[in-house]
This record gives sequence, C-alpha cells and structure tokens, in this order.
Amino acid sequence: MPPETRARAEGRRVVVTGIGVVSSVGIGVAAFTEAIRAGRTGTFPITSFPTEGFPVTMAGEVSDFDAADWLERLTAEEWGRSAQFAAVAARLAVRDAGIDPETLGTVAAGSVMGTTGGESTVLQELAEAAHAGGLKSLAPEVVWRLPASRIANAVNSELGLTGEAQTVPTACSASNFALGYAYDLVSGGEADLMLAGGADAVNRATHAGFFQLGALSPDVCRPFDAERAGILTAEGGVVLLLEPLTAALARGARIYAELLGYGANCDARHMVNPDAGSIAECIRLAQADAGVGPEEIDYICAHGTGTPTNDATEIAAARMVFGDRLPPISSIKSAIGHTMGAASGLGAVICCMALRDGFLPPTAHLRAVDPKLGPGVDPVPGTARPARPRVAQNHGFAFGGNNAITLFGRYEADRSSKVNEASEASEANRANGAHGRVAAGAASGGEGT
Amino acid sequence: MTVTTTAAAGAGRAAARPGGTLRITGCGVLSAAGQGLDALAEALHGARAPVGEPTADPPADFPPAPLRPVTPLDIREFLGRRGTRKLDRFSSLGLAASRLALGGPPPEGEDRSTTGVVLATSTGSLRSLAAVARDTLVQELPYLVDPSMFPNTVMNSCAGQIAIWNGLRGLNATVATGQTSSLAALRHARTALARGRADRLLVGGVEELTPAVAWGRHRAGGLEPDTPLGEGAALFVVEPAGGEPAGGEAADRTRGTSRDARPETGAETGAGAVSAEVLAVEIGYAGGPAGRPGGLALGLADCLSRALARAGVEAGEVDVVATGADRHLALAGAEERALRRVLPRAADVRRLSVAEVLGDCYSASGALQLAALLADWRASDSAERIGLVTSVGGDGNVACAVVCAPGAR
Repeated sequence: MPPETRARAEGRRVVVTGIGVVSSVGIGVAAFTEAIRAGRTGTFPITSFPTEGFPVTMAGEVSDFDAADWLERLTAEEWGRSAQFAAVAARLAVRDAGIDPETLGTVAAGSVMGTTGGESTVLQELAEAAHAGGLKSLAPEVVWRLPASRIANAVNSELGLTGEAQTVPTACSASNFALGYAYDLVSGGEADLMLAGGADAVNRATHAGFFQLGALSPDVCRPFDAERAGILTAEGGVVLLLEPLTAALARGARIYAELLGYGANCDARHMVNPDAGSIAECIRLAQADAGVGPEEIDYICAHGTGTPTNDATEIAAARMVFGDRLPPISSIKSAIGHTMGAASGLGAVICCMALRDGFLPPTAHLRAVDPKLGPGVDPVPGTARPARPRVAQNHGFAFGGNNAITLFGRYEADRSSKVNEASEASEANRANGAHGRVAAGAASGGEGT
Repeated sequence: MTVTTTAAAGAGRAAARPGGTLRITGCGVLSAAGQGLDALAEALHGARAPVGEPTADPPADFPPAPLRPVTPLDIREFLGRRGTRKLDRFSSLGLAASRLALGGPPPEGEDRSTTGVVLATSTGSLRSLAAVARDTLVQELPYLVDPSMFPNTVMNSCAGQIAIWNGLRGLNATVATGQTSSLAALRHARTALARGRADRLLVGGVEELTPAVAWGRHRAGGLEPDTPLGEGAALFVVEPAGGEPAGGEAADRTRGTSRDARPETGAETGAGAVSAEVLAVEIGYAGGPAGRPGGLALGLADCLSRALARAGVEAGEVDVVATGADRHLALAGAEERALRRVLPRAADVRRLSVAEVLGDCYSASGALQLAALLADWRASDSAERIGLVTSVGGDGNVACAVVCAPGAR
C-alpha cells in the first residue's frame, strides 16, 4: 500500500520556540547560524587530548568553553563535559524562548537528550586512573559523573524540571530520536513542554575508533565531494524547546518552526554499513507522519558525514523516494564535523533557521560534486543561498542501523489568527482520514523496502 | 500542504489520554537465578540461592563484595555458531533474552517491520568501552584500538544486534536514566505504541557485571555493606492492549504455538509466553543541586499517585510492591516513605525484593523487578491482582509501573 495511507499520529501541533546551541563555530543560535550560513569552519587541530602518535589530528572542538559562564544552578565541576554542553544549551534555549524559568518546575516539563558516547571524557579519565593505579583507585566523585543518564539529568537539574529526564543513547541519530520522543510527549498531551536535543564530547577513544575504521578525513570534511575522505570527530550540545502551538500563541512566543512529525526505523542488517532501502523507508515514514509528500520537501539537511559510503547511500535512498527530482541536500558537518549525538539536533536547528529566515544551508569546502552520486545533486556549495523553503527534512543515521528523520515546516505568523478555524477544519479532516493504529501498521508493513 | 492547517487540540496542562495499557505477551530473563521465569520464581522462593563465581573474568579482579553473576552463557546455544565471534558479553545477554522472549529465531517470512526494540542501559557495554579506552593508552600507537570492537562501544549496540538477529525493523531506541532506566524504557515503549510508532516492541534492560563496573559501583558507594552486585537481562514483548496481535499470521502462529506448548504449571524454563498488563508507567525527576529535603520520596509519591490515577486503580487495591531500592542506604527510606504516603495500608502490602536474591542490577533492576513479579504470580497461583514496580535513583530519577495480573481485569 502507498505510504500516504498510513495515518498520522493524532495530537496537538508542536512548535519550536527556543533554541540553545554550543558548537565549535559559536555559542547561541545566532552565532551558530551566522557561521553555518557563511560556510565558516570550526574544525582545527585537537587540543583536548594529546595527539602524539595519531596520524589524523583534526576535530571540531568547542574551544575556550567554560560552562560556569552560562549555568545558573549547576556547579559545572560536578558534571562531565557532555552534561555541561547539554545544560548550557538548555539554559540558552529557555532564555531564547522568553519563558519565565521559575514556571518550568510547575508544569509537566522534562528533557530528552541524545548522545553517542555519553560522558566519554569521564570514561577516559577513569580509564587513565585505572591504568595508573588500578580499579580500586577510582575516585567516587568521578564515577558518579559517568552514567549516560547524567546528560538529561543535567538539563532537568539546571532548569528545575520535574518531568522525565531521558537520555537516549542511540548514537549518531540520537538527537532525532530525542526530538521524536519529545514530540510524541507534547503532541500526545503527556507533557506541556519538553527540551530535546543532544550532546557529545570529543575524546580519544572515539577518535581512535573512527580512525581504525578508515573513516577520518585528514584535513576537512567534504560531504558529497568527489574527493571526500571521511568524517571529523566533533562535539557540542543542542537543545530545542518544544511546546504546543496553542500555548506558544497564547504567550505570544516567537515561533521558529513547526515540528511536523518524524519517522524512525532500524536496518536490522549490519552494525555499521547503512542500508539505502531502510533509509528510504524511514523517509517515507517521516513524510507520512508529517502529512507531506515528497514534492513538498524543499530542503534536506543530510546526515552527510562525508564518508564515501554514507553519502552515496544517502543519495541512493533519497532517489528511491524523490526519483531524480532531488531537493537541495547539504551537510553542515562540512563546517562543524560530526558532533555525534548532537548532530541531528544541530541539523534540526539549521532547518528551523532556514525555514524562518529564508535560506538554504550550505555544504562548506565543496570543490566538485561526486559524479558517481548521479545527476541532480545540489549540495548548496560554499555559502548559504537565499530561498523560501516551507518544509525541511532532517536526516540522522547511526551505528546499529538506527535511522530517525524529523520534518520541520515554516510557521506563517501572518496566518496565525486563522489558526483556530484552520485547526477545526483540519481536525475534521483528520478524523475522517485516520485509519487508526492497526491499519497504519498494516499499511506500513506492506511497503517493503 | 498541511504546514499551517493541521490540528491543534487543547492547550495548557497536559491532559491524560485514555488507553496506553501495554499487554505483555512474552518474557525472556537471564539472571543469577538462571534462565526463564520459573528459575527466577524458584530462587525468589528460596528453593535455591544463586551464588556463583564470575566465569567471564578472574574472580580476583572483582572488589570484595558478594557477586551474583549470570551462570555461564554460551550465546551459540541461542544464535547458532555463525557470526557470533565478535559479539560482546553485554550484547550476548540481551540477545539471549530476546530469543527467550520471542520464543526462538524469527520464523521464515514473518514481517517484523513494525516490531521494534526499546532497551534500557546505564552506559552500554562498559567492558568494550573500557577496552577501547585502555587500548588508546597501552598500545604502541594510541589509535591501535580493535576496529571490530569499536562498534560495540556505542550504547545502542545491543539494541542494534537484537534487531539484526531477530529481524526487527521497527523503532529501535535505547534509554538511559540510571537506576530507573528499565521503567523509563517501559514508559518510552508505552508512548511509542500509543502514538502508533510500532505495533509490537521488545522492551527491557541489560546490565553486565565486569570488574570495572563492580569496582565503579563499589567505589561509588550508596549500597548497604555486603549488598550483592548482580547482572542480568529481562526483555518483554509488549503490544497495545485491546489491539490486534501484531506481526501478521505468522506471528500469531508462533505465539500460539509457544503458548500452547506451555504447560499450565509453567514448569519448563525458557518459556517466553506470559500474560499480564502494564496499566501505567510514570517517571519523574526529583534531583537537582538544591533538591528539596525528602524530594525523592515526594517525587516518587507523585509518580505513584499519577500512575494509579491513570491506571484507574485505587491505592487500596495494590496487593504487592516489587521494590527497587531496598539495599540502597539512602534510597530505601525514600521509597518506603513514598509508599506509605500513597498506599493506605502500606505496611500490610506484600513486598517483593528481587535485589535480595539477584543482587542490585542497576539499570536492569526495573525489568528484573517486573520479571520477578510475573514469575512470582505464575508460580504461586496467586490471587493478587495489582502489583507496583518502583524505582528510585540517587541521581534524582524516580519511576513506577502499575501491573495487572493475568486474567485479573
């Protein structure tokens, strides 16, 4: 059966009204967006660990970061670097949203934070201590900082949230999983407001692992380029504040974009090699959930790691859905490297900004599009291009075959006065069109890949 | 184009939605008690004290604490001989539990595109993580980590392997909330099913006891002296209650077969088929630098009240509580205060302590508590109807689930 017969999950419309970013190209959504638009690079020689003996020494680090400059409640030293990125991004998102922070603890609000390595720098510290003095020398206060759960806990603690604090360690698509789960909580009426995103820190083990897989680029990251050589490991934190559209309108909030829906599935074939058919299926799931067709997608924020395999697979998957009319597809990893669990959250941010401010984010460092990717690939080379995208599709894929794709739509403020009318009409349409969960499953099950 | 015309239903305080009940149709459990619910029930009833020595590591590498390791596990018994060489023990625990829960390998031709996984973990495979981190320090060159080991270090590795070996192409999520992780995974699964993200999910938790984990937990403190450190995996097959069975006719046949094969007494180990319902799962956060005094107890009490309300269960109807914090110095008191705050005759409500028997299993605790409840009900032919599973973490996470016995609704 065609995917459009799959019913959308019913619920409230959800919008993004606050954004917090900690990245190698700037802290705060404005600095981040400006740098991405300009194609500025944030990848430099590594300073956070000794690189002696490493053949490749570039990464996207957040240099000169002092969490204490930004945190209001947490004592920075009590938290690992990933938790610090998360808490600062969350604090920035709340400031950006213009919500009275004192009210956050009194509503059903929580956080969902994605990660790949969790508190990887804490693990490295413990590994070094164990190497030097044996396991019995581990310091309790360092052990306490290790669990991955500390990342979402940091967000809830910094903001005084009493709702669920879930860390979602689904690796390199984790922010999209977090956004999807938070969307379901807000849309389904389980939460009044959620903070969702991801965080990861550059560390020695991840850098070594990707090098051994042959996936590290020696200089810069060049997604879709004929001479692309791989990823650069990177770090950062990102949080998007999600709330129901009606609540945002009621408090006169600035609305960045609407989170239209998402799709998530699993390749179930191989731990590290991506699968085009499965990714195509994930795109279809996301579009069906958002209630949009392929022809309505104006821009794809690619997973775009810059490895030969990823980019070829991603384009092949897109062709399965879009045919040869591919929307512009670019990768911000070209500028900031692969921020792992934060990557698809930063992708979500640039989608929101592209929809709101009217541009297509660029692929930096692109010299020549790989002809083997086939015709019609437009990675928006160099710097941002003025445009008026209405719907943006944000990709996230991961080790383990975990695919998750979020879809964002431009929110048109000038039509907001009609929102109640429109929602009533649409509510009726949706009631007529909804086939319920069982039918939805059957429809999806029949598609195959 | 629907961007600005889709529905907006309601605003302000989140409204409770009807439904959201999970039907448990299968369970796979491995613990110090052995494999399956019946072995677990036997251990709970004191028929057999599961005290074993670790077999995957030299016993001398562990701290001076009682240990409750899973008895030797040969993953090839579950998966066959091919393709298992690079699986780490953490994933093996999860894979074995998955095969027990699903009743065996995937039947030929069964469509599992809307069956997924929601797996709880604290830090993934710390064995693999520690090995790679150590290699960057001890190898001749710092990058000489084992590339085939590296994918095992991502925390979703086990969930990915479970998907691969069982052909589960639906939503595949991994969830970490420390001690409460397994209940958070149940909550994640409940939300996903209620929103139509999957038709059937394998949900639960895995925790592996390695020297590094044991030393970390020993050094971190918080447990009563001589509390055993445990490990295990418990996975449940869950579907939305009231829905049609998922997975098509093949799945019906499979489940029918495994149900039929189960004697009424449930005597054989490894029988995956069970039936019970999770009526509600609520989680919250009561941590923070300026955490209120008694905040954990109040936070858990809030969760309990909310969960009972959403389950449509009166506090007085609760027959048994599978507690999670009973061996934690500070947390046991908070858990008990929360129960006394919410349950009218809390002192008379039976307590089931799985940590007493299996040791503390950290992020897998909630799943093993639920398994213990199911095992206990199945083995004792109990008249109990409603059970709670509660969990408190020193980090501020609080969680509970309301569980309804088979045939009790």
